Order: sequence, then structure tokens, then C-alpha cells
Amino acid sequence: MHRLLRLSILLMGLSVAVSGYAADAPQPTLTTEDDLGPQVVQPIEFPHDRHAGLRNPGDPLKGGMEIDCMYCHTYARRSAVAGIPPLQKCIGCHQSIETVRNKPRIQELFKYWDAKKPVPWKKVHDLPDFVRFNHERHIKRFVEQQNRPTQEACGYCHGDVKQMTVARRSKALSMGWCANCHQKDHPVTAAGGTPVGNQAYWYGFQKPVADAAGGEYKAPDTNNIKAQGPNDCWQCHK
Amino acid sequence: MSVSNLLENWAQFRHFHPIDDKPHDPYKWAMSIDLDACTGCNACSVACYAENNLPVVGKEKYQHGHGMHWMRIERYWDEGLGVAGGSDFPDHGAQFLPMMCQQCEAAPCETVCPAAATNHTADGLNSQIYNRCVGSRYCSANCPFKVRYFNWYDYPTTDNVWPAEMNQQLNPDVTVRSKGVMEKCTFCVQRLHAAKGTAKNEGRLVHDGDVQTACQQVCPTGAITFGNLVDHESKVHKQWQSQQVELDKDAQVKDQKEGGSGLRGYRIFEELRPYPSVMYLERVRESAI
Repeated sequence: MHRLLRLSILLMGLSVAVSGYAADAPQPTLTTEDDLGPQVVQPIEFPHDRHAGLRNPGDPLKGGMEIDCMYCHTYARRSAVAGIPPLQKCIGCHQSIETVRNKPRIQELFKYWDAKKPVPWKKVHDLPDFVRFNHERHIKRFVEQQNRPTQEACGYCHGDVKQMTVARRSKALSMGWCANCHQKDHPVTAAGGTPVGNQAYWYGFQKPVADAAGGEYKAPDTNNIKAQGPNDCWQCHK
Repeated sequence: MSVSNLLENWAQFRHFHPIDDKPHDPYKWAMSIDLDACTGCNACSVACYAENNLPVVGKEKYQHGHGMHWMRIERYWDEGLGVAGGSDFPDHGAQFLPMMCQQCEAAPCETVCPAAATNHTADGLNSQIYNRCVGSRYCSANCPFKVRYFNWYDYPTTDNVWPAEMNQQLNPDVTVRSKGVMEKCTFCVQRLHAAKGTAKNEGRLVHDGDVQTACQQVCPTGAITFGNLVDHESKVHKQWQSQQVELDKDAQVKDQKEGGSGLRGYRIFEELRPYPSVMYLERVRESAI
């Protein structure tokens, strides 16, 4: 009896310790109830729809202004991070837009300007620190090479920001979600692959194999996984 | 992965030289270190700490073997020289050898990782994926060079590391590793990626000299050369070639000459067949002359 009691106490202690550890580990919120990222409270409720949304030909005061994403997020085309525009950029336009000068949000904006303080914007699309993502590469491909509209190209990962007020994350931005596009658009082919030097990238744990006809490349049989790994984890992990 | 699968498919797990099924094209990053030029000043080690967010663990943890120096200077003493000569300042024949991950082609660490957290990249690097690592430390046990370092603590939050406000000094291009993962020299892969990005924008390959590793950049005597071994114009390729050291050999042809070839190039533990990517140039020793 005594022994049983001791064992049960030990087991209980163990389970408490384990569940306590699991509860302590910070788990990122992947999705909220409405299938979007967490609601981020910004210092100023920036209306993306008013700036980037489509024009309303009937009433120009109601619709958006179709401003290009990269007018404000200017670093996206030339660096790894898209960046937050400096306050100067906001003021540059708003000092000469008298019609909205007295709106509470604009007054708030000018308060920061007069205090010579940057607006403490919060990050919405915050990738984990171990991810290497390059905006420039994606803009170069979609906007410069394939001439797709900026809003479409940005929207692949950021969702339909022109309809949002404060932006929210609407895609998972997980590894599987990234690889989903990359596997579809840069398949491993008989000729090699799309990146330089005939190096294609695969994301499973084995190189995809050609079928008997030598055409279609498929993910290998997962029952027989070999320990070779994807050919370059460091492409995205840092 | 079962043991029977491992045994049945051994050939697929272990190649003599992985270059056979994954030819390095267009990059194979490699290094050469001239030990004759190395003064053992430790600048490379310090630069590595700064570049790669390495924690300074403090004297006590260091004594427990928890040092996190991806690049370390090994010291060797030429005992034969000793205190000979009766000088007041005897020459102990100190020799220095900068030791970091050798980015082996057939890396012993890769085959033993139970979580496939360490893999070979297409450009010949031995990658370490921190968030895949489960901390078994098997890779470190199997590394003949002992250049893998384990995070015994969450370093930025423990004592003796750096105050919170100094987080601003961290390199944003490199992860801050957490407790329980293995880490090692990456050949400054973040710099390689930056250089590749620039080169791609200009529609070319990375030229020799476009990219430097942190240790190479600070070396006051220029002992470290880093570059693309596939590029025949690169300095590192020329050095390897002039020393007749070949990547995919476990015994160099030049060393089989009777009486020695007179060349200084060698790779550490070549005979174990890890096919390291770092060539050392032997020091011209006083005792050997």
C-alpha cells in the first residue's frame, strides 16, 4: 500500500511537471477563430483600404486612392525586409491634404511629428527569427520579371491588404505553406531545376523521383525515407 | 527509420564521396589557412563571436567545457625545442591552429543525427538547422574535430552573457540559439546568401572576393582565404591546386612521394575520409629546417 501510494504521488508529480512545462512553452498563435492572424493593436489605426483600395468613381471621397504598396513600403524591392515608412513619408503627403487635417487620426500623426518621435508601429507579419525570407527576391521575380501588379504579388503572402484597415495576417506563413508554392512553381525536373546551375530545391527528405516514363517527378515513397534530407535547409533557415 | 532499412539501404545512406551524386555546381565553398601567417592573435575568434551572436559564457562555464567559440585557436608546443640553448627567453615553439567546422563533404555528424537536423547543402556546406535539432549531441560525439558546441543554457537570459539592452548588438541575420540545440561554424552563410542575392540581381555568379567570412575579414596577416572552389579563377582554388590538395581524395597523391613533396598543404584527419573543405598550409618550423 505504502509503495503504491509513493508511486502514485510520483506519477502525479511527473504529470504536473510535464503539463506545467508544456503550458510554459510559448506557442505562437497560428490562427484565431476567424482564421486570421492575431489582432494587432496599432498606435494609429492606419486605414490600408483608404490608401491602397480601389477608387470609387462615383464618390472620390469614399473610395481608396490606389497607392502602390511600394510607395510606402519602399524597401521591399531592394532589401530583405519591406520596412515601415518613416513618419516623414506620411507627413510629406498629409501636410498638404487640408481636408483630413482635423481628423483625430491625422492629429495623432502630427502629434508624433511635432514631438519628433517615430510612430511605434507593431509588426503584423512577424516571421520567426530562424527564417530567412527575402522580399527583394520575390518582388524582382513577380513584379519586375513577370510584370504582375504589385498588389497581386504582395497579396500572395499578405492577403488582400487593400480591403483591410489595420492589416492582419491572413496566410499561415508556415514552412509547409511556403513550400507549397515553391514545390508547385519550381519543380524538380529531368533537366535539373530553375535556380542557377541546374540546382533545384526540394523540401521533403528525399529528392523527388521520376516515374517509369521518366517524365513526372513525384515525392518519394515516404515509407522508405532516407536520412539525406532536403538539399539545402539553409536556403530558408538561418 | 528502422535498423533493417538502414542495413538494406546502406549504400544510399553512406557514399564514399557525396560529390558523386550531387556535383557542386556552381558553388563549393572552401577555405585555406596559412599557419605560417597565423600569429594566434584570436582576432578571428572575436570576429566570429560578434558576427554569429555567440554567447560569452564566462570563466566558470568555460572551465566546464561550455565554451561556444565556433572558431578557436588551438595551441601546440614544440616540446623538443624546450628550454634548449640556455637563453633567458626560451623558445617553446608555440604553434597556432585556427579550428572551426571543416564543412566535411562526407560529414560524420550528418549520418548520425536522429532528427536530420544537419544536412549537406548543394554548395558543399554542412548545414545545422537549430529548430529541427533535438539536442541528442550525437553529432558532436561523432565529430573528429570537436567543433560542434551545445547550448546548455538559454544564454541571453542567463548571467554572465550580456545585459538585455545589449540585444541591439545582435546580428539580425543570424538566429539567437536557444537552450538544447547544437551549433557550429556556418562559413558565415548569411554573408554567402547576401552575396548570392546581389549576384543574382546582376545576373551573374558570385565572383571571387565578393564575399568574405568574418574571420577572414579581420585576420591581420591575411592567413585565411575563402572562396568558391569550383571557380578556377578564385584564390582558394589556385591555392588548393598549387598545393596539389584535392577535395575528393583521402590520401593526396603528392604525399605518396618519397621524401615528401615539399608542399605545405594538408587537411586534418584526411585519412578518416570526412573530406574536409578546409586546407591548412603547414607552418615552416624552425625545428624542421
